[in-house]
Amino acid sequence: MVLTSVSMDEYLALENRLAALIESDAIDEAAFRDAALAVHRFQRQHNEPLANYCELRGTPLAIQDWREIPAVPQGVFKRFRLSVAPPEAMTKTFLTSGTTGEARGQHHFLNTRLYDTAVVCGWQRLALPSLRTLILTPPPADAPHSSLSHMFGVLAARESARFCVTAEGRLDLDAIAGDLDPGKPVAALGTALAFLNLFEQLGDQRLPLAPGSFALETGGYKGSGRDIPKPDLYAMFGTYLNLPSDQILNEYGMTELSSQCYTRGLDRPHAAPPWLRALVIDPETGKEVAIGETGILQLFDLANLGSSLAIETQDLAIRETAGFTLLGRDPGALPRGCSRAADETLRGSQAGRMS
Amino acid sequence: MKKRRFAENAWKKLVGPWKQEAEPGFREPVLGNPEADRAAVGPLRVLPEPTAEVIRISLGPPSRTREWAEQLAEAAAQFSFLGEITALDLLALVRAELGSSEVLDDFQPYGDHFAKAVGPATILHVISGNTPAAGFQSLIRGLLLGSHNLCKIPSNGLMEIQEFRRLLPEELAARVEIKRELPSEWLEQADAVIVFGNDNTIAQFRSRMRPGQIFVGHGHRLSFGVIFDDPDLSSAVGAARDASIFDQQGCLSPHVFFVAEEPLAYAAKLAAEMERAHVREPRGALSISDANAIRQERANLAFRLANDEPVAVFESVNSTAWTVAFDATPGFPRSPLNRFIFVKPFPKDFAETLTHVRPHLSCAGVWPPTLENARKLADLGVSRICPVGRMQFPPATWHQDGQQVLAPLVHWIDCETGS
Repeated sequence: MVLTSVSMDEYLALENRLAALIESDAIDEAAFRDAALAVHRFQRQHNEPLANYCELRGTPLAIQDWREIPAVPQGVFKRFRLSVAPPEAMTKTFLTSGTTGEARGQHHFLNTRLYDTAVVCGWQRLALPSLRTLILTPPPADAPHSSLSHMFGVLAARESARFCVTAEGRLDLDAIAGDLDPGKPVAALGTALAFLNLFEQLGDQRLPLAPGSFALETGGYKGSGRDIPKPDLYAMFGTYLNLPSDQILNEYGMTELSSQCYTRGLDRPHAAPPWLRALVIDPETGKEVAIGETGILQLFDLANLGSSLAIETQDLAIRETAGFTLLGRDPGALPRGCSRAADETLRGSQAGRMS
Repeated sequence: MKKRRFAENAWKKLVGPWKQEAEPGFREPVLGNPEADRAAVGPLRVLPEPTAEVIRISLGPPSRTREWAEQLAEAAAQFSFLGEITALDLLALVRAELGSSEVLDDFQPYGDHFAKAVGPATILHVISGNTPAAGFQSLIRGLLLGSHNLCKIPSNGLMEIQEFRRLLPEELAARVEIKRELPSEWLEQADAVIVFGNDNTIAQFRSRMRPGQIFVGHGHRLSFGVIFDDPDLSSAVGAARDASIFDQQGCLSPHVFFVAEEPLAYAAKLAAEMERAHVREPRGALSISDANAIRQERANLAFRLANDEPVAVFESVNSTAWTVAFDATPGFPRSPLNRFIFVKPFPKDFAETLTHVRPHLSCAGVWPPTLENARKLADLGVSRICPVGRMQFPPATWHQDGQQVLAPLVHWIDCETGS
């Protein structure tokens, strides 16, 4: 299953078409369907594990509705190489975070053109001011397999930005404090856990950001054993950074995807960009739930050209008229019975993102 | 979404309304449909339920322990998920662990002297999550020991335990306090603390013990079955029952059956029996995240199957009601529960397969249920071995987690009389 020069041409042609579509920011249902079905056909031809799965599921090659594309369970990225091209053709691989001994999901890229395009266009849709940016992750060079560091790297290239976590993972508080210019708003980007670490390091100190500043948090608390309710976390942003809730954004993304969803403040649904469609599925029947009901989140990402367009996440969400309200992995679930369930592997952060 | 947990009559249809005459050693399990099973295993000798009168006659003069045992058994009989607990069972437990069923009432001969056992003045039971059966049994034992019992139940309540207290005579009911939040003074007051929960919960409570307090922690456990030999697949009925009762939430619920011969055929037969069990007694409603755990595991297996891994999935149609997952790769699988059972070939090195889960093992169901087969598993970390089909119904005298349940709680008063 090696990409021949012919199929490489096919890949590049599709890539061009998708990049133009993403940049156009005007994708109606028909345009999404046509592009999704083209990507699916290409992936069926060149991604063997995916093709085998579709065959087992009895999904014909010629389908009419993008909703019929079998969504690959997110977990299989840990076990299978889901790629349209052989290892030697890859220029980038992102890995999910994982505890010691646990297999890590792998997402391989021929190049990051579509990924980077989706990051930038998704960001532009938020219409945020261009500010001095502090990033609470290691720089991409120090974390080459982190999709989040890469994403922040793409954004940092557009702004005046500084990465404030060392290669060893230490938060450089002096760098952050020293970088603040009184009266000048900043943007602070990082994982929820990194912000929590920042607040804990600050202790009795406060780092009030100037009005107009905003923060972007993402990624949960995977592997930390922490779980802070979002309202509590956002209250801490207020206490330590003087940021009101509506100046805080949450990014929902994962290593297995190429695009991101965003929400702002508390109690608002996540919005997907037009090249990413979400379905909320009833886990009992596999059918889409009604608006207002809860189910499992499937994402169809046109920018995932090199792997799998359709991913079934491990996250629960409420279907909204527009977008979805993310509930995460196992919200409010009762502790299981005294049988030792697979709970170690079922619980965790909402996203498989490396942080 | 609320789970239906322990509906009355839930498993009577599977357990059967009759009692089987006790025989030493392993017994043929009572399986499935009463009529069909009667035909399959031959006529069963049916014993009448012992009446209170029969018990009194057989036990001699009344004692306080006996009276309580009768009252406790009467109240417990209203809760089918507790299985059958008779007064005789409870007294047998006292006798098995403390030497005499009257040793809590008065001095009894003990070696060359006399001794009397005394339960803790106050026991705190921390009852977890969604399997009240173990917590119930703990409370029943505490009452049998004459202790005052403080029950911390889950914050979303546990109706059954409140109902149980209502059914007790006043004297016993007065010895039960139930709260959803743990008052800080309870931990101080308790002479013994019994905690059911995950490793973190147990560690937290253990760290808060003061010197002299008795602490017993019952953590989460893993159980499994082994089918050594079953050419006609007859044990699959019992295996389906083991994997279906309590919707697989109990510490005695199997995650996997290891099958020595024709494991794939066994998986297919087990699937048919899981469907029958489902028709007789459907699973309770699941939360979306529990249903999704099953969906994810099924999808992962399907992906592996599509890509030539040695797996197969048998599943209920258009629902997550039951799943049998055949997986010939090595290792001990973890079921997402709620009637999701793995079948694996019995491995060459079984001890190696169990290495990582050994500290958490509880029960092994075996077939055929012989002592010879039990001996093959005795050194592998399990604390109970029973016939497939009986995994959920341990005798009242079982050693929970391999430990005695009354003996660690009591203290002894010795009495040497003048000769």
